[in-house]
Amino acid sequence: MIALRDVVVEYGRGVRAVRAVDRITLGVPQGQSLALIGPSGCGKSTLLFAVAGLIRATEGEIRIGGELVAGPRRDTALILQNAGLLPWKTVWQNANLSLLLAKEYPAATADAVLAELGLSDVKSRYPSELSEGMKRRVGIARALSTSPEVMLMDEPLASLDTLTKERIQDLFLKLWARHAFSFVLVTHDIEEAAFLGQRIVVLSPRPATVKAVVDNPEMGKLDYRESSAFRAVVFRLRAELERGA
Amino acid sequence: MNRAKRAGRWFVDRVEDRSVWRHLAVYAASILLLLLFWEVASVVIRALKGGREYLPNPILTIREMVRLGPLLFQNFWISAWRLVLAILIAFSTGYPLGLLVGHERRLDELISPMIYIVYPIPQVAFILILFLIFGIGHPVKVAIVAIALFFQLLVSARGEAKQISLEHITSVISAGASRWQVYRHVILPATLPSILTSLRVSVGLGMAFLYIAETTGSVDPVRGGLGSFIKNNMYSTGQAFAGIIAMALLGLCLYIVIDVIERIVCRWTYTARRPL
Ligand SMILES: Nc1ncnc2c1ncn2[C@@H]1O[C@H](COP(=O)(O)OP(=O)(O)OP(=O)(O)O)[C@@H](O)[C@H]1O
Ligand SMILES: [Mg+2]
Repeated sequence: MIALRDVVVEYGRGVRAVRAVDRITLGVPQGQSLALIGPSGCGKSTLLFAVAGLIRATEGEIRIGGELVAGPRRDTALILQNAGLLPWKTVWQNANLSLLLAKEYPAATADAVLAELGLSDVKSRYPSELSEGMKRRVGIARALSTSPEVMLMDEPLASLDTLTKERIQDLFLKLWARHAFSFVLVTHDIEEAAFLGQRIVVLSPRPATVKAVVDNPEMGKLDYRESSAFRAVVFRLRAELERGA
Repeated sequence: MNRAKRAGRWFVDRVEDRSVWRHLAVYAASILLLLLFWEVASVVIRALKGGREYLPNPILTIREMVRLGPLLFQNFWISAWRLVLAILIAFSTGYPLGLLVGHERRLDELISPMIYIVYPIPQVAFILILFLIFGIGHPVKVAIVAIALFFQLLVSARGEAKQISLEHITSVISAGASRWQVYRHVILPATLPSILTSLRVSVGLGMAFLYIAETTGSVDPVRGGLGSFIKNNMYSTGQAFAGIIAMALLGLCLYIVIDVIERIVCRWTYTARRPL
């Protein structure tokens, strides 16, 4: 359960303060998904980093599982814009980074996660030896390695080709069903938001405020991309994004 | 026996055995080429200077090296030991301190002005003062080289630490890294390849400082190191050149050691896809 109340995030102080997020209130129930979509530079990453405990909210409060977020949490995993892999660590080390940092030797489940993501064969490779799609999958594997309650993703599939992107989205849905985490997905890809968000929040240009909330109850159904419900949500999101822009 | 074999395999895996022979062949070819240049230069200079020997030819030099073998070898070890010790001291202090100063903003504000004031002063300027205070012993010579290299490594480590991609730091912090783990898992490996390059520069620089340290004040041809040996034989060019070649060999050995270390600790840099 993620709960944001009147969250404001500002960069800098005094006259030079830049407000990136302006009084956002929203919640994600346990096991549910939320997509955040908005124009470039509106404050999506800022909001996500605040939820991840990497930057402090200037005002308001952010709670995960009822606790105020004061720093990175063990039960929360973050996937960065470019997967954030360390070039000097192998796929296996990158995927199990959180566990290795906590001095826990990754259990057998670590290999199972890599297998789920189709990365078993490249376990001992370095990121520079992987394709972009593989790198993103390693990012997902890292997030899954700690069996988190909450997964936060900042444009995890940006700049991939359509088919690779859709394949990873399908894979992600499967993982979500199996591992039962809640997730917040930041994206500027309308179809991705409609495919992965049970609820989609459209943000205004900077400073980000909630412009519209679109419910997407049929998300996750078989062949959802081909359904008319999906088309309708995509259409609605486009209209909301263009409204007043 | 089995253990040694396994260690050998581990080592060979890491240096990529196929390329070792290639490297050796290239080195051998380079040495031959340099000897050839040297021979030609020697002949030309002799002709220009009316038959007087200023630049001894390679054969003569090698013969001198063999003749002076034990003495040269002794001095070689003394210089090598001093240089390696100085590099180790400078590396193990300058590198971590440079990373700290580069990454911790407060520390940077505090210390960087001091570095910028002291760094440009040629450390050799202090050599005589150090000799006067501490004598001309072994430790002072090592100290002079170490101080010079310390600043060099400090300044480059600081610069490298400042260029680290924030994304990598964010990524390990969100994975739960402590302050120390950020150093251990991001800052250290990210700066390692370029610090090894600085270390190569340090070898050349250190050699120059060592020469100055070994030739300032009194020279001891027996236990004074290669610098003393060269200076002491300045007027018999064959012997002086034997010393110079020994210095070149010392540098070469250190470069090879650094290369091997780099292959082991920076393996990921050899996997990147490179355009032809
Ligand atoms: N360190 C900073 N100091 C001042 N302003 C900042 C800083 N970081 C970001 N901003 C501003 O905050 C706003 C929001 O940035 P943010 O990265 O959250 O945008 P975003 O919605 O993720 O954009 P994109 O879709 O391009 O990733 C931007 O307009 C940016 O100029
Ligand atoms: Mg962003």
